[in-house]
Amino acid sequence: MSVLSVAKKDFLDVRRSKSVWIVSGLYTLLVVSLFYTGRSGTVEPNVVSQLSALASVGLPFIPIIALMMVYLAIAGERESGSIRYLLSLPNTRRDIVLGKYLSRGAIGASVILVAFGVGAVTAVLWYPSLEPTVFAGVAGLTVLLTLAYVSVAISISAATGSRSRAMAGSIGFYIVSNLMMLVPAFSIVAAIKYVLNDQFGMGLSDHLFEFIRMLSPTIAFRKAFPLVVPSDIETFMVNVDPSAPAYLAPEVALAILVAWLVVPAALGLWQFNRADLG
Amino acid sequence: MPAIETTALTKRYGEDVIAVDDLDLTVEEGEVFGFLGPNGAGKSTTINLLLDFVRPTEGAATVLGYDVQREPKTIRSRIGVLPEGATLYDRLTGREHLEWVIDNKGSDDDPDELLDRVGLEPEAAARSAGGYSKGMAQRLGFAMALVGDPDLLILDEPSSGLDPKGMQELREIITAEADRGTTVFFSSHILGEVEAVCDRVGIMNDGRLVATGTLDALRENLDFDASISLDVERVPDALVTDLETHEGVHSVTVDGSTITASCARTPVKYEVVTQVGAATTVLDIVSEDTSLERLFNTYTDGEQSGEGDVDAGLAEVETEVSA
Repeated sequence: MSVLSVAKKDFLDVRRSKSVWIVSGLYTLLVVSLFYTGRSGTVEPNVVSQLSALASVGLPFIPIIALMMVYLAIAGERESGSIRYLLSLPNTRRDIVLGKYLSRGAIGASVILVAFGVGAVTAVLWYPSLEPTVFAGVAGLTVLLTLAYVSVAISISAATGSRSRAMAGSIGFYIVSNLMMLVPAFSIVAAIKYVLNDQFGMGLSDHLFEFIRMLSPTIAFRKAFPLVVPSDIETFMVNVDPSAPAYLAPEVALAILVAWLVVPAALGLWQFNRADLG
Repeated sequence: MPAIETTALTKRYGEDVIAVDDLDLTVEEGEVFGFLGPNGAGKSTTINLLLDFVRPTEGAATVLGYDVQREPKTIRSRIGVLPEGATLYDRLTGREHLEWVIDNKGSDDDPDELLDRVGLEPEAAARSAGGYSKGMAQRLGFAMALVGDPDLLILDEPSSGLDPKGMQELREIITAEADRGTTVFFSSHILGEVEAVCDRVGIMNDGRLVATGTLDALRENLDFDASISLDVERVPDALVTDLETHEGVHSVTVDGSTITASCARTPVKYEVVTQVGAATTVLDIVSEDTSLERLFNTYTDGEQSGEGDVDAGLAEVETEVSA
């Protein structure tokens, strides 16, 4: 199996990368420190509240971790020329993209799971109950979010021929999908709404713009959060909207998140298949 | 079935740049083919087209009978490639590189045996490739190309980074592979390494194939001189006349105690040496095999048979020889 062979070699290579270990360590530290600060306070320590806090505080870091670990996966090899070795062996271009996705996805998921695993240990030590279902749900959703950004980074890496362009693409995607999306009033969607509704008087509903915002994997993650936490815990204020139409339901958000796992990687593969790798 | 066959293969970049122009090239099974040309002549682009790294603007190519664009995976499972200017994986050891290639190709080769064949020490193979010298990297790349006993070896500038000893070993490996029936296709801009091992050469210039054939045939085609100089104790007048009338000798010049004979074919040189040796005491022999350089320069200077070009080529060679 060429895909596995590509993945195996890539895994061997990346696991020796210092930046992966540093990023992994920092994220674990973030998880542990959140559980540490939540263990004492005015109210009874609650694992679910801390998981919500983690999802909120940790949210901007997940894309950075994923993009950073992956953006050079293919573009770096094109720039250094080592891709010529990969492609001189019985591997198709598809094998390379899928193999890289597999290996980087596995590494990304491991980073998250290790951090949550360490977090689980601290939760058992410091909290009255672990709430394993919620814990696993949040961990699973976070892994999905990570994989969504791995898919994006693989796509960018496959579609660009050089380190600098892959980096520019990753930073650009991060800015658009995170910094310009997180706060509704200051989001890129608010700008679109201003142009369409205020300038052209199209009178489109706020829900529609909220849906556009939800197309960002980061926002989709937030909107899907009610699926894994009990409804009595308030998470991400934005979720509490009884008048929201069906297309803003958490299930739709989850579907969008899953689509991010597939669509960007497929587009990247399509572009990579057509490219001249001279 | 030819090992490599291209028909009207053309690669354009944008409107103005034609990297490979209407290339018809056939490399027969079992031969060692030297792909020559100055830097930028289109050799690497041709190899990239054969490996499906880049796609042709027009034309088609087959490797081992398979279409390069439709069946790259089948081709890659049966060939060994030493790519030009490709860096290794800094964080993997030499041995890990080999193990990966063996695994990827589904071969059962022994890494140690391959390391031994290319002259890479086991201690070096245990280190990360990030610290390799260019020569070591080239040796490892060569070992990787040999994995799985390929039917065809494609070597892009294989001698770059190798010292003279390394080049000698490279030639030996190429010859050994050729003896096993492997077709070898290698590109080079260094002419010396070609003559020793190649059955046939093709010369690229400006994206076009300007000549193919055995070196002897190409030489004869251009009617080049091979020249030989002998330092002698004394120069008998009769000897000069004898040499001048010898069949295959174009001209004889005498400069002090040095006789220089310009011969039509290489074997004539030996006859000249024998004849001079019989007439006087020979102190030194200098055989200037400039014909290959001149051949190359002539083909890559544009016009193929202009007398002026040949002279220009010779002038260049002489500066190179003295330098």
